[in-house]
Amino acid sequence: MSTYRTVGKPIARVEGVHKVTGRSVYTADIQLPAMLHCKLLHSPHAHARIKGIDTTKARVLEGVERVVTAADLPKFEPRRMSNRAYNLLADGEVIFHGQPVAAVLARDAATAEEALELIEVEYEELPTVLDPIEAMREDAPLARRPVSEIDRAEARGHATVEVEEKASERPSNVASQVKFTRGDIEQGFAEADVVIERTWRSAIVHQGYIEPHATVADYDAASGELTIWTGTQGQFFVRDQVSNILRIPETKIRVIGLELGGGFGGKISLNQPLVAVLARMVGRPVKLVFTRSDDLTSATPSPQCVVELKTGMKKDGSLTAIKAKIVYDSGAFPGAPAAVGAILIGGSYNFPNLEIESYEVLTNKVSVGAYRAPGAHNVAFAIESQLDMMARELERDPLEVRLKNAVGKGDEMPSKARYPSIGLKECLEAIRDTEVWKSRGQQREASLPIRQAAGKPATTGKLRGVGMAAGGWGGGLQPASAHVELNGDGTITVVVGANDITGTNTSFAQIAAEELNVPLEMVNVVTGDTRTAPFAGMTGGSKTVFTVGRAVKAAAEDVRQQLFAIAAERLEANPEDDLESVDGEIRVKGSPDKSISFRRLAGITTGFGAPYAPVIGRGAISARQQAPGFTAQAAEVEVDPETGEVTVLRWATAQDAGFAINPLSVAGQMQGGTTQGMGIALWEEMVYDEHGRLLNPGLLDYRMPTALDVPEIETHIVEVPSEEGPYGARGVGEPSIVPGPAVISNAIEDAIGVRVTEVPITPERILRALGKI
Amino acid sequence: MATAQKRVVHYTVNGRPYEAYIEPNRTLLEVVRDELRLTGAKEGCGTGDCGACSMIVNGRLVTSCLMLAPQADGAEITTIEGLAQDSRLHPVQQAFIEKGAVQCGFCIPGMILAGKALLDRNPHPTEREIREAIAGNLCRCTGYTKMVEAIAAAAEATT
Repeated sequence: MSTYRTVGKPIARVEGVHKVTGRSVYTADIQLPAMLHCKLLHSPHAHARIKGIDTTKARVLEGVERVVTAADLPKFEPRRMSNRAYNLLADGEVIFHGQPVAAVLARDAATAEEALELIEVEYEELPTVLDPIEAMREDAPLARRPVSEIDRAEARGHATVEVEEKASERPSNVASQVKFTRGDIEQGFAEADVVIERTWRSAIVHQGYIEPHATVADYDAASGELTIWTGTQGQFFVRDQVSNILRIPETKIRVIGLELGGGFGGKISLNQPLVAVLARMVGRPVKLVFTRSDDLTSATPSPQCVVELKTGMKKDGSLTAIKAKIVYDSGAFPGAPAAVGAILIGGSYNFPNLEIESYEVLTNKVSVGAYRAPGAHNVAFAIESQLDMMARELERDPLEVRLKNAVGKGDEMPSKARYPSIGLKECLEAIRDTEVWKSRGQQREASLPIRQAAGKPATTGKLRGVGMAAGGWGGGLQPASAHVELNGDGTITVVVGANDITGTNTSFAQIAAEELNVPLEMVNVVTGDTRTAPFAGMTGGSKTVFTVGRAVKAAAEDVRQQLFAIAAERLEANPEDDLESVDGEIRVKGSPDKSISFRRLAGITTGFGAPYAPVIGRGAISARQQAPGFTAQAAEVEVDPETGEVTVLRWATAQDAGFAINPLSVAGQMQGGTTQGMGIALWEEMVYDEHGRLLNPGLLDYRMPTALDVPEIETHIVEVPSEEGPYGARGVGEPSIVPGPAVISNAIEDAIGVRVTEVPITPERILRALGKI
Repeated sequence: MATAQKRVVHYTVNGRPYEAYIEPNRTLLEVVRDELRLTGAKEGCGTGDCGACSMIVNGRLVTSCLMLAPQADGAEITTIEGLAQDSRLHPVQQAFIEKGAVQCGFCIPGMILAGKALLDRNPHPTEREIREAIAGNLCRCTGYTKMVEAIAAAAEATT
């Protein structure tokens, strides 16, 4: 179909060889002369007043260089304190279990660890509020001192939402709320032939990147220059934040984004400002590497959520109304995606009448951050499960019901924005054609006799069921830029400032090769640091190829024009009409003998005494039009009603990539996100005790999917071109995580005839739903 | 720190002799990374649950974060740095690149060594056997599908 030569092809990762040989450098691999190792003392309480900290014993331990508490740190204006980034160490009060209280700098990590145990902190425990619903009550204790203005810089990197969240007017745990309405909600329910009302709960889950957070910082007092080596999704974001917190101009800060061992939204900025402050205090390099326990306890996981949902449908399968109350538990600092959730819960299907309220509520738990399509899986679990229940009640095919109501270009979101080109219907159609979905009837028929024999819900023998669900993600927007340069030997270097986690540099190489019509081998992509690279926004919001890719394309086009201009003069041709670029040569069309090589062009633009200016292409773009990405997924599960155990047997994921610049990378994103969705559905949960202490801060008990838990994931790439993306591409990183919980919930009901309304759907919850315990 | 008596340990790592003078309570992972400066093996959890620190010690795949350095004294150790011969990648390494099984890369050294250890003892594994062999190695990026394909492809390529 496409006439492209390099984009659209499955290309192996350009940096793959470094990763398979162990040569890639991650932050924990950095060792600098005179470097100190940092460990943080984390609060053992969810809410307490700090009455005193005695660091005497820790300070005198041999090998300890410095013990730092909030008393040693710069102070900020009160309004800043709503932003976790400014709370470098707890000052007078701890508001979640795991909050950093003190930092030790020592000659090695073991000594620092030992010194932590010698720090004596006197706490006075304060009332905690842990459940977000209870936290909304007027008489609930406050999770923390009231917040006024809320800094949302980081959240905006993931989703561009054109609504203003309303901050609370009086001291309350509600940090923000948003409400959307459309039509007449009561009329909508009156017209419905089936109305279903349920409450859906989803747990706090962790991004689960295998590399814990890590940062190294070095400060040179003489020059005032700060260098930060860190794994981050957004090196320019880190630079901005550190500049604001340390009050150092950005000209003096160099952030070097190293290879990142997974982020998924959780690795934008966390410890970088603190480590920078510590490095400035001691004038030596400081390294902080989180342990897994540190990371699970005190990084920024994905919120717990409660959705009260009422929906109505007519006999013909058309939707009439949705009423939703969404409550996200933001933990101890604002940051939960209330507005995004409100848009998404009513955003995939056309509801003529809607009333959606969404709340961001503070509690004494770790504050949340972004995790792949932040907030989306929580609401998709509710709406996509309930759609199935309504379809089941009306004996309609749940996929056809979705197709009948699915949004398309021009349809309105709950926020009243209108969709550009989108591919939800095409994803649903792709799933309809998969073997796993087509086998659905057979599964039902096979298990029907067993169900009937057992009364209503099936209670004996392993039973199979098939479920499906859809989901989407609006996608982020941010300006981006890139350089493309002609090297001395005629090869091409692309310079970007976006941190590559998902294979974006491979896609950029493909784009530059495509535009210049050269073999991929002629192109090298470099991620510069913040001192050298052209600006790019954070790698988040599924927007890196969508935005930076456009900048690379523009920069490569610029290079081509510059090459054409020089070649035209040399070859006496018209640059617009007569020239073409083929395999590293600029040729006069129709006269292949009249050509000039890239190598020659490099010589006459860079050599000593060369007559022409160097060839350097510039691409800088603004991004204003989102390109929402949708996915539909189907799975077959086997449920043992005796034990409640669920085995996932087959899974198919269809997703609209707009145009898959690298189908290998796109499929990899789809499989990875799908697996995380499965994890949320079946196994993952950060469990807190009644005092707000995390009970499972390790990877044995925080149960992420292993190779034995998941089946082969079949991928179906759908391509409905976006308006603005390069070659029609749209963001692909996030959508695939969204439907998992609903897919599983729907498949389980198909198998055993009962509905579980809380994820993770553990064996215990299944047995409970079956009435066995 | 209140250190125990330091001692010397000897290893043969990737065919080359190494010696280190260390506190006996340090893990093999720490010594290989910090003293021998072979940083391909990663620490993802420190409790043997994620497999990012996997090394092959005397022919067996171990989570080196759980092995004390003196326990491996005298051992033959293979780390990810020792897998490619000259400039030729091991078939598992090659297949991981070609099949798109590499994303963030942090689990990859351990995952590839798990794949190699499997093929060393079972050159023709089934899909189930491959999944069992890498079940101790967590990957958060790929969903494992392409990793399983890569190990199967490497098995094919070596026969």
